[in-house]
Amino acid sequence: MNQTTEWALYLAQMEQILALELDDARRAELLIQLERIAALAAPLMAFPLDERLEVAGVFHP
Amino acid sequence: MTLSDFSIQGLQQAIQRGDISAREVAQRTLQGIEQQGALNAWTEITAERMLREADAVDSRQQRGESLPPLAGIPYAVKNLFDVAGHTTLAGAALFQARPAAEQDAWAVSRLHRAGALLSGMLNMDAYAYGFTTENTHFGATRNPHDPSRVAGGSSGGSAAAVAAGLAHFSLGTDTNGSIRVPASLCGIFGLKPTFGRLSRSGSHPFVASLDHIGPFARRVDDLALVYDVLQGQDNSDAFQANRPADPTLVGLAETGQRCALLGGFFSTWCDDDARDALARVARALDIQDEVTLPEAELARSAAFILTASEGGNHYLPALRASPDRFEPASRERLLAGAMLPAAWYVQAQRFRRYFQQQVLPLFERFDVLIAPSTPCTAPLIGQETIHINGTDLPSRASMGMLTQPISFLGLPVCSVPLTTSGGLPIGLQLIAAPFNEAAVLRVAFALELQGITCVDKQNGKQ
Repeated sequence: MNQTTEWALYLAQMEQILALELDDARRAELLIQLERIAALAAPLMAFPLDERLEVAGVFHP
Repeated sequence: MTLSDFSIQGLQQAIQRGDISAREVAQRTLQGIEQQGALNAWTEITAERMLREADAVDSRQQRGESLPPLAGIPYAVKNLFDVAGHTTLAGAALFQARPAAEQDAWAVSRLHRAGALLSGMLNMDAYAYGFTTENTHFGATRNPHDPSRVAGGSSGGSAAAVAAGLAHFSLGTDTNGSIRVPASLCGIFGLKPTFGRLSRSGSHPFVASLDHIGPFARRVDDLALVYDVLQGQDNSDAFQANRPADPTLVGLAETGQRCALLGGFFSTWCDDDARDALARVARALDIQDEVTLPEAELARSAAFILTASEGGNHYLPALRASPDRFEPASRERLLAGAMLPAAWYVQAQRFRRYFQQQVLPLFERFDVLIAPSTPCTAPLIGQETIHINGTDLPSRASMGMLTQPISFLGLPVCSVPLTTSGGLPIGLQLIAAPFNEAAVLRVAFALELQGITCVDKQNGKQ
């Protein structure tokens, strides 16, 4: 599936879910931003983490 | 002798002796701020409060009392700290009509009790989201070394105010580099303490998982003194670590810290000015070792995702209700962040733990790791891209690419300034294990004593 089409569909869903009123210019800019972040997220999501690994917290002395 | 020729301790002692009054310090400071208005560092000047605080110091001096450590010392704060009686802006036109803060932020109240004189609030990137302080509503803050260049951000006003000699210190915040980047570009010292070390109460949040507060100064002893005053337990801050104060000023001259350079990602994504600064520090400290942080680039991506998600969520109601009042450069970036899948956010939080587990063992061998604070010196105001490692990168987001993985870890960092061959400053990050602020301040002090850091024209050091 074409990546651009995929994010345009995702954006349309999120626009409804988050009750946003957008115009085409803002949708186009949001698409750029989402694709940029998706490119950062892909290798992060592919990185294997131990199933017992928890989120980081505050350092404790 | 100008006010900025004095160290904090020197000025405090001159006031204690009666050589100069706190009121005179306040008046000369306010005059200086007006004269250098073109810097656009202040968004509000609190002259009345400053004079009132000065008069209180003078009354104590006249009664023969021993003055507190910051008595009569002029400072200013990034405009996301609450100051009683003034609206907290966080760099955003969006907040201008909000009611005034009822009380000072925890850190500001701490400085007030120590006798410091607040001159006002300082410009920043809107919402603290940016590295250049090119604020569409409040204007760009100019770099005191070259007014055609950015001061860095998001705490750009905080760095410019101190670099211009208009405040002995200032407060900023650092989520992804917002203290270290402007400290680098303006040629001063900046301290981002350990995540959870200092109270954030009364500061406008951006990314709760990553926000830190910290000071800027022109001298390491000033930086350490202010940091010591800012330490202390605040039970209202759920993110503060339960750790007693650990004063740093007293042991500043101690040496013997084991240092190593950070290679890999950190030496790849910078220019020759940064590499030359690193080489000078390596020679001065006789550093033989270089280490790498595995997956530093993923750490940057994970920090970006945490920032986008938490920042986006924070501003979602306002993005829905009044999108026209947002900073154009940040609006869609924030809104896209509010839409990210939860799985990405949680993966980023878990990766943070993984990354800490990989990096913390390095501190068994070394006390301080050293890397550039910024990929290059200050870009021009309005410059869209910087050219690093053969690649054009967007300036606004990329000035923090070397600071982002380190704040993601939550480690304490002091940015120390060096002068490049072109005359502009650039900073290096001195990075230590959690709660070892003392180590980074000691190495910074050693470099300052050796004359490796920027010659501080403001206080006449050679």
